[in-house]
Amino acid sequence: MSGRLSSPWLTSRVQFVLAAVFVVAGFGKIADPPGFAHEIYNYKLLPGFAINAIAILLPWVEVVSGLALFLGLARRSAARLLGVLLLVFVVAISVNLVRGRPVDCGCFGTSKVAKTDAERLRDMKWVILRDVGLLLLVGQVLGAVRREERV
Amino acid sequence: MKRNSLWRDTLSILVLAGVAAVASNALAGPERKLHWVGNFQEIAGPPKPPPPTPTEGAAVTPAPALGGRDFPPHPSKAWVEVSGDDVAALHARGDILFIDARRTSVYRTGHIAGSRSMAIWESDVDDKVKALFAEGRDQSAPVVVYCSGGECEDSHMLSEKLYKVGFDNVLVYKDGFPDWEKRGLAVTKGDTP
Repeated sequence: MSGRLSSPWLTSRVQFVLAAVFVVAGFGKIADPPGFAHEIYNYKLLPGFAINAIAILLPWVEVVSGLALFLGLARRSAARLLGVLLLVFVVAISVNLVRGRPVDCGCFGTSKVAKTDAERLRDMKWVILRDVGLLLLVGQVLGAVRREERV
Repeated sequence: MKRNSLWRDTLSILVLAGVAAVASNALAGPERKLHWVGNFQEIAGPPKPPPPTPTEGAAVTPAPALGGRDFPPHPSKAWVEVSGDDVAALHARGDILFIDARRTSVYRTGHIAGSRSMAIWESDVDDKVKALFAEGRDQSAPVVVYCSGGECEDSHMLSEKLYKVGFDNVLVYKDGFPDWEKRGLAVTKGDTP
């Protein structure tokens, strides 16, 4: 990674953006765990017994990792965890997009807006694009941390 | 060394998140709390049961006819889907149990007049099903369960639970509350049926 792309100025801002996104997303889900469990169920990817545990745990992983990035603590671990979560989200939405099964992403908690199937399918494509963008930001943080450790 | 600290930090984040999750769920009220292990069943694909027929479940005492249409028990199936016309006729009868499977917060904003709330995604749903069973109702009498229509499966999931405790005449209002509102039928707001 070039020096400019891994500059402390850029890295601190990228960390802030990632932290803000994941803390907001996490608290959105924490506000309504049954609603988030319902969203996970709608993806039709997990066995019933696992859905509630994931709905309770996953938002807190987002919040704690986001806060760690914000505070500059355990950045590599936090960024890796967020990267793994983003990959999981992208795969889950992509599978349903391929199935032609419209789902609300549930990314920031339960959707309050009634959408048509066509709107949901369109939104799913945007969510994938957004998550890929966030993955690039995670890559920037990981690259910058690695470069700092070498110096 | 770096690899060790990476795993240690990752584990620390996960442990911290786990502790926060346990505490948050323990302190949550009934509308926010979840059981750690989900006890609902996956509904296998869109249910396509045939409409109830007068001969179905003939061995069991049939429910009274409503406007020329019978709703006899169906002991071999957890539910059958019924139309808005059928549901309106059942509601007009006045003695049919209606159950709303949507979230409690949604129920409060408006529900079919007289319907009870049993939000399938909330932790107290099993207690509510048990309490209903304990009332000693006639389990072969029709019970109408509804949610938001369309792709909503909450009413089917709740029907499975009711079926498991012995209710063998559960009717799922396929088009759900949006259809009820569209028909301009009686709606109540708030916590009470």
